[in-house]
Amino acid sequence: MKNRLRPYYPLLPVFAAYLVLFLVGRNVTGMWQLAATLVFYCALGQAFNIFLGMTGYVDFGYVAFLGIGTYGMATAITGLAGYPQLGLGIVAIGFILAIVMATLLSMAVGAVALRLRGAYFAIATIGVNEGFRYLIEGANLWNGSSGMIFTAQLNEILGRDLSSRIMTFWADVMVLFIAAAAAVVTLLYMKSKIGYALTALREDEDAAKVMGINVTKYKIIAFITSASFAGTVGAASWALKTPYVFPPEVFEIHYTIEAIIIVMLGGAGTMLGPVVGALIYGISKYYLSIFLPGFQLFIFALVIIFIIVMFPEGVVGVIKGKTRNTAIAPYIM
Amino acid sequence: MFLEQLSGNLVQGVVLGSVYGMATMGLSLIFGVLKVVNVGHGAFVMVGAFVALFFFNTLGLNPIFAIPAAFAVGIALGLTFYYAAIRKLLHAPELATLLATFSAGVLLEETIKMIFGSEFRGYNWDVGNIDLVFTALPMSKILAALGSVLIAVLLYVWFKRTRAGSAMRSVVEDSQGARVCGINVDGVYAMSFALGIGLTVASGVLLTMFIPVGINPYMGGGYTLKAFVIAVLGGLSSPYGAFFGGLVFGLIENTSYTVFALIPGVEPFALTRFLSFLILLIILLIRPTGIIKAK
Repeated sequence: MKNRLRPYYPLLPVFAAYLVLFLVGRNVTGMWQLAATLVFYCALGQAFNIFLGMTGYVDFGYVAFLGIGTYGMATAITGLAGYPQLGLGIVAIGFILAIVMATLLSMAVGAVALRLRGAYFAIATIGVNEGFRYLIEGANLWNGSSGMIFTAQLNEILGRDLSSRIMTFWADVMVLFIAAAAAVVTLLYMKSKIGYALTALREDEDAAKVMGINVTKYKIIAFITSASFAGTVGAASWALKTPYVFPPEVFEIHYTIEAIIIVMLGGAGTMLGPVVGALIYGISKYYLSIFLPGFQLFIFALVIIFIIVMFPEGVVGVIKGKTRNTAIAPYIM
Repeated sequence: MFLEQLSGNLVQGVVLGSVYGMATMGLSLIFGVLKVVNVGHGAFVMVGAFVALFFFNTLGLNPIFAIPAAFAVGIALGLTFYYAAIRKLLHAPELATLLATFSAGVLLEETIKMIFGSEFRGYNWDVGNIDLVFTALPMSKILAALGSVLIAVLLYVWFKRTRAGSAMRSVVEDSQGARVCGINVDGVYAMSFALGIGLTVASGVLLTMFIPVGINPYMGGGYTLKAFVIAVLGGLSSPYGAFFGGLVFGLIENTSYTVFALIPGVEPFALTRFLSFLILLIILLIRPTGIIKAK
């Protein structure tokens, strides 16, 4: 009889990597910050991969969803600061608001952009980030360009000890859980009709349409899922970790670049790719900033051109090709 | 008072718009011929701005001389980048060229940052003012606008009257057919890409007349977005469409700034930039082939 758990084997190396990160960060002194950064990159990569990896569409405005998630958490904390009886519930409400706001924004963007294909899609999304940032600054939404600072409110509701525990420890653990959840969702999508539809779409959108696949529907599913994960990442790793929001910081296009590098380096559309990409990118960035400060982006831009030209399938794509029909094949996807 | 301000802004809009138009022709040319979207467009504009800065501040030369120099720098960059990456990616999924041009933009930004540093710089080329009844315009801006029109006309003539120009047009029309007729399609691709980048870098010189202290390695991002709006206004694949799109966009930008400034409690500059994004989405939604019909 076929092993019924076998389809879930690809989750093992992903979870193992997360566990190792957590244990190293916990037990080796001075490593928690690096581990937390790596976990953030893993979560960013996993979330971005759900859309870029599965559909082959590049969303250049991706960081807008992280930004809006940050604002979701900020709104919950500042808006409900008068109800200290909510306690930790306020964090839960913040996450819900982050997801709702990211979903709404992604629906608005998707309604326009997902009707477009390829180059036109990329053009439509490249402005999302800037456009949204300038809307907040220009129309003075959420305090406009002066941003929001809510450390005091967080201290007031949760008490000084708990809120500083959240900032230094629990926020990172939450990002770890989000990364794990994104991996599970990726696997479920890949194994379901959604994954097959998106694979067909990525290979040949016209053929997929002719075969009767509702491509727009599946694109929207992947887009919204990816965006709402980004919203939770923003809420946890920005709003909870450093309780302030400034539009130029949270809508920094830099993070979109990092997400693209991570996914492409590891292998777009693979399960393990974002984790491998995040680890390679995060660790090399960390050491480059020590030994060659200021050169990281220069080097990574060269690396990404090299990857696209030489091996567009990424590290995991190459490993997958090499290990086909071997004992470890079921673990790599 | 308001009308005076508005008409002043309209004139400024036409002047700025013609430079915007010229700054987008390269983007449209590359998309028209190669079907490649240059996502790093703004970074190439930025390189041109630094060429102008270098000519004016370091060599002490008139920025007009920087235009051919910037064009040459652009041709060299374009050819290098085409043969190093783009050529191998033409048949890959769209994702590949998008990411490659994007990374090329980052690479340029970082290179310029290493050479010149990341602080804001600028130069002031003072060649007097022209007084109109309702507004005063610096002569340097007028020269930049005239330069843009001249370059656009030269490109038009080159397209219509030279063999290379007609080869390029035939590839736009039907690259398979052009190949059958014995046109070196790969050569045309390389030439178009180099020409497109050359125009883009040269436009950076003209743009510096409008930003006295705004030259910085990361200044390009805003221009990428504007260039997309303009290119889409003009139909994305036609350089002339792009030129007229630039005029329209310059007018919209200046008018909306005047109008937004009347609303209390908002930041007109930021809202103008939001508006350009909104226009982009609306045009893509209703007429992705462009509002302006170019022949």
